[in-house]
Amino acid sequence: MNTQLLTSRPEVRRRSGGAVNPFRGQHRRRLLRADLLTVLFWASLAGAVALWLADGGMAGFATVAGSFTGLGIVAGLAGMDLVLLMLLLAARIPLIDHTVGHDRALEFHRKLGKPALYLLLAHGILIAIGYGMAEGLDPVSEAVALWVLVPDMWLAYISMLLFIAVVVTSLVAVRRRFPYEFWYAVHLLTYAAVLTALPHQFSVGGLFAEGTWQRWYWLALCIATGAALLYYRVAQPLVATFRHQLTVKRVVRVAPGVVSVEMSGLGLDQLAGSGGRFFIWRFLAPGLWWHPHPFSLSADPVSFDAAGQGTLRITVRNLGGGSAQLASLKPGTRVALEGPYGLFSTAARSRNHVVMVGAGIGITPIRALLESTPFQPGNATVILRGHSESELYLGEEILALCQQRGATLFHLTGSRPAGVRTWLPESSARAGHRLASFDPNVSDADVYVCGPAAWAQSVLQDARAAGVREDQLHYERFDW
Amino acid sequence: MQPTSELDGSALKARTFGSMGTVISLTVPARALGTAVVPGTAGDGERELDAAAAAVERVFARADETFSLYRPDSEASRLARGELSLRDSSAGMRDRYADALSWRLMTEGAFSPERTDGVLDLSGIIKGYAIGQAGEALRSRGIADWCVNAGGDVLVMGSPVPGSGASWAAGVVDPLDRSALLSAYALGGPCTRRALATSGSAERGDHIWTAGSCGAEFAQVSVAAADIVTADVLATAIVAGGTAMLHRATEGWDIDVLAVRRTGELLATPGFRA
Amino acid sequence: MRTRAAVSAVLASGGILIAGWQSGVHIADTSSSVASGAAGTTGATGAKALGTDGSSGTGTTGAAGTTGASAKAVGTYAGPVVQTRFGSVQVQISVRAGKITDVTALQLTDAERKSVQISNRAAPLLRDEVLQAQSADVQTISGATVTSDAYLNSLQAALDAANL
Repeated sequence: MNTQLLTSRPEVRRRSGGAVNPFRGQHRRRLLRADLLTVLFWASLAGAVALWLADGGMAGFATVAGSFTGLGIVAGLAGMDLVLLMLLLAARIPLIDHTVGHDRALEFHRKLGKPALYLLLAHGILIAIGYGMAEGLDPVSEAVALWVLVPDMWLAYISMLLFIAVVVTSLVAVRRRFPYEFWYAVHLLTYAAVLTALPHQFSVGGLFAEGTWQRWYWLALCIATGAALLYYRVAQPLVATFRHQLTVKRVVRVAPGVVSVEMSGLGLDQLAGSGGRFFIWRFLAPGLWWHPHPFSLSADPVSFDAAGQGTLRITVRNLGGGSAQLASLKPGTRVALEGPYGLFSTAARSRNHVVMVGAGIGITPIRALLESTPFQPGNATVILRGHSESELYLGEEILALCQQRGATLFHLTGSRPAGVRTWLPESSARAGHRLASFDPNVSDADVYVCGPAAWAQSVLQDARAAGVREDQLHYERFDW
Repeated sequence: MQPTSELDGSALKARTFGSMGTVISLTVPARALGTAVVPGTAGDGERELDAAAAAVERVFARADETFSLYRPDSEASRLARGELSLRDSSAGMRDRYADALSWRLMTEGAFSPERTDGVLDLSGIIKGYAIGQAGEALRSRGIADWCVNAGGDVLVMGSPVPGSGASWAAGVVDPLDRSALLSAYALGGPCTRRALATSGSAERGDHIWTAGSCGAEFAQVSVAAADIVTADVLATAIVAGGTAMLHRATEGWDIDVLAVRRTGELLATPGFRA
Repeated sequence: MRTRAAVSAVLASGGILIAGWQSGVHIADTSSSVASGAAGTTGATGAKALGTDGSSGTGTTGAAGTTGASAKAVGTYAGPVVQTRFGSVQVQISVRAGKITDVTALQLTDAERKSVQISNRAAPLLRDEVLQAQSADVQTISGATVTSDAYLNSLQAALDAANL
């Protein structure tokens, strides 16, 4: 079924093209930052190789053995650089988060995993071959000799095994077979892998010898990465938790299997405008405290007084794991939080016009975004998708917000047509509707999409077909 | 340093071969071989040189067979694997082990016959012994002027210009630019010091430092001494033991030292001064 | 905008790599021997032709003395051209099963008697400078040259080849 519940008032409807775009500056700066990060990424790889070249690395290619060793060293340096970049991508650094968003950063982090591992494996194998040839040993004997003879090398071998374990457990196929907690625990081994890899680089790596530029460069890189991780993943969350003093105020059942958790706390005015962005929550109750939950705010934070005392709200569906227990949270439970993260907010806006598409529990950040993001009446379209009306969570609140702010609202309910890849319900798909049917201005709008991954991809495809450029598309992934 | 300008290209003859994982060069003045040698012809001198080189090679090959850890069948490897105990090992092995232990005591541990993993490794002392024995072999063949260079460790006798009393001039490589010389030292001739050994803290093609050199103070240490074992062991010990060992060595032994810090700074005894 | 990122990334990375390359070239001017090393197979055939002639050789080059052993060599490697008192010398070694089987002089001319300038650094703890020498003035070289690679690129190899 396909219902248009509200048409925005025609008298305020106008073409956004002629209007002043208040988001142009922020958009331009964000693209500049994105390009800068791209350049930094490649420059750091080039820098790793350049420092080796500056050390006369090419001289080794005069011999076959030296060529193997040289390639091995380059592979090791590039692999190390990629590992550090991966850690930085996962460090929740605001610059990265504000530029590409947390989920996009993690997507890139995942993409780098296999290349990094291949480079590190190549490093070990090529060095064993190169040294072996120089000493008349086969690579296996040379590997054993390195293990036994060279200080700190045994740690490097352990590191290699840990890296293999981390990457293998992160492969999509393997990962699905295990619970999140298992994957998370193995992933923590990354830190052990990096730490065990470091000693052999600094103690026996000739390139990192004392008094060389290289040593300082890599030392600075490692320390900076460690500091970023500690600061943004440990210190900042602790500070946020103590500053906001969140406690559960009440838990309200929104629909079957869906609850809203309201929390009260301090300093919430500082979080204004983060509606739609997500936090990582830990409810400090027995059996729950260790489980991190990434959930978006389903309403912009409300503060009552100058001290910022107020309430926050998240709306969650029973997705398994710890989220089932959230329904039984007792008022007064203390809450630790990390965040806000992500670009599902006004910070990502680039146009006057905005189209928000949400499905299922993905509707809830749309609700928060609709509440806070600026638009002229008539310049916003909200599309909610669910199997039935009862799955359009917070539907009444959204209706009220649309009325109040002058947004067009569509409810799309019903099941998907069999065998067709579409984000629309059967009736709508039959009628030949596309994203552009719901908002003719979509090509000049920011399109926010939140929902299950396959469905969201379908919406994004439709949007691209309607002429929406990549930098106008904003979506939040709802799987880890 | 003696002027060596009277030397020309035909004055010296050299032979090289590989052993103990490095390259050994034997250099002899053509005139020392008795017969006048026309360059390029295989005269008696050439044959004598070939025979001398073969003798030197045999000395190194024997040492390599016994002491090399890279040969799985060597006595040293069997010791390392625990198949053989020191008590049952050869007299040569036990002697070298005793020497190495006494060097360890004298250098207060800076030189050690054991690797960090505990495996007995006499390679730090064997090369010096082999060079010394090679010298004995040459002397016993009646050759009085020669220079043996094994992987940069040098032992000489006599003079490059037989009868002239001129010293052998040994250059010391600049560790920061291996195509240039940092300094030189006069060996043999009228000088009491016949041996010059240089140890570096970078090995394995500069990518891996040797065990124990983590954070080594010196990039390279050269020691000149009367015998090659002393020169070799002390050079190794100073690389491992840093400035403290350098001062102990210059106080305790009659040697000259030229040490290069990682920063490029030099420390040298008067013998190396211009 | 993606184009801007790609172009800037290529330019920045390229610039960094070229800068690294440039500062690396003078550290190891052996980088010129990269080409000759890569052409190792051609060098090998050349060595055979030179070596099969046994002990006969010309007096000027002094490249005689290579024995039949080089014919069995698995790999031959050429070193950089080094200036000695004999002029410029280029060394080639033959390696079989990781062991050096032969050392030959590839290039030996009297043409350029360029002297190698040594660095002359005074130690803070020293009142004076150390003894100076040029590779043209010495008969042997002391320096840690443990591997065959290191020997190949060493001044000692050049001296040995010149005296063969």
